[in-house]
Amino acid sequence: MLLAGKTFVVGGYGYCSRGIAERARGMGANVIVTEIDPIRALEAAMDGFRVMPMERAAPVADFIVTATGDKHVIDIEDFAVMKDGCIIANSGHFNVEINIPALEGMSIEKRQPRAFIDQYILKDGRRINLLGEGRLINLTSAEGHPSAVMDMSFANQALASEFLVKNKGKLPNGVHALPKDLDREIAALKLQAMGIIIDVLTPEQESYLNSWQEGT
Amino acid sequence: MSKQYDVKDLSLAEQGRKRMEWAEQEMPVLRLIRERFEKEQPLRGVRLSACLHVTTETGNLAKVLAAGGADVVLCASNPLSTQDDVAASLVHHEEIPVYAIKGESNELYYEHIKAALDHNPQITMDDGADLVSGVLKDRPDLLETMYGSTEETTTGVIRLRAMAAEGVLTFPVIAVNDSDTKHLFDNRYGTGQSTIDVLSGRPMCCWRARRLW
Repeated sequence: MLLAGKTFVVGGYGYCSRGIAERARGMGANVIVTEIDPIRALEAAMDGFRVMPMERAAPVADFIVTATGDKHVIDIEDFAVMKDGCIIANSGHFNVEINIPALEGMSIEKRQPRAFIDQYILKDGRRINLLGEGRLINLTSAEGHPSAVMDMSFANQALASEFLVKNKGKLPNGVHALPKDLDREIAALKLQAMGIIIDVLTPEQESYLNSWQEGT
Repeated sequence: MSKQYDVKDLSLAEQGRKRMEWAEQEMPVLRLIRERFEKEQPLRGVRLSACLHVTTETGNLAKVLAAGGADVVLCASNPLSTQDDVAASLVHHEEIPVYAIKGESNELYYEHIKAALDHNPQITMDDGADLVSGVLKDRPDLLETMYGSTEETTTGVIRLRAMAAEGVLTFPVIAVNDSDTKHLFDNRYGTGQSTIDVLSGRPMCCWRARRLW
């Protein structure tokens, strides 16, 4: 499917959705971002994306992809105004971001033009194409993330399980991040594997960063 | 589930092994960790249940955990994301029990999660917090012996924080998603690229059902 020149709406501007927005723009799409968080919306706007409510984006969209982590990001009022042939998909974890039961309810027919595409025919004849049953599209209809990024994610998983064993009985209940030094170690190893060398602080620079007396 | 594994077709194992090998070439950091784990055995004897997308990369992670001495079982974290050849190879070549079939019903999906918990894990590894939810709802007896859990994704971390806020999260969880080397790269470049892959790539290129504008 050609993305160049198409209007591509991304639900959310978190790390996943901004990745989708940036890449869609790189393919030549005209990208609109929807958000509920004023800071993220501002980031999207200053990154050069158009920002507007989903209900206003839906009528002009050729594609709508959600990655927000919340439910019903695409809902009845959006289906009601979509263009004929609009393609909708979700890249968020659960299949709740698109209100599929509502879409079923508004449709008079459901076709399967090919695997992983459900085409809903609305009463006025408009066709809305749902990919991968609204489940995370990059894993249901493709092979998922490139191995080179999963390398770092799963390095974190391996070190996190080691960390839990080393610290069993010592960690408070609740949600913790992996210690920063392990995070940095993973980045350093990845750089090494990529053959990228970076600068190191001189003792003078290090002491400057740790002091407050010295100004201009 | 009384079976020791539940995969689609063991005859896919060889293809799965080859594809995992291919993916492994792009995973140098995990390879270094594997080499250290083989020597140091930091997970020796630890029962670990992982609920992840059963992909080539996850297959490599499972092998690293097993190389570190863990007694690993794996189930799917989504009914549609399983790569059946990978599941077959992990069972056939690595003797890692896998409960995952691409296209499984919601009912079978939750049976597979139950099977992973029947392993009596000391560590659970989640992508979406389904194992942790299962422990809290159905297997609170496991809390006695659990060291904790790890969580891969934003949605899982949101669920876990909701559990912590309600005071029901009675063990430590490492939010892997919160590592900079996770969300800054996996979420942005991984989800970004793989989503656009689907929309722009071969799966869609022959499809002419939509009207041209």
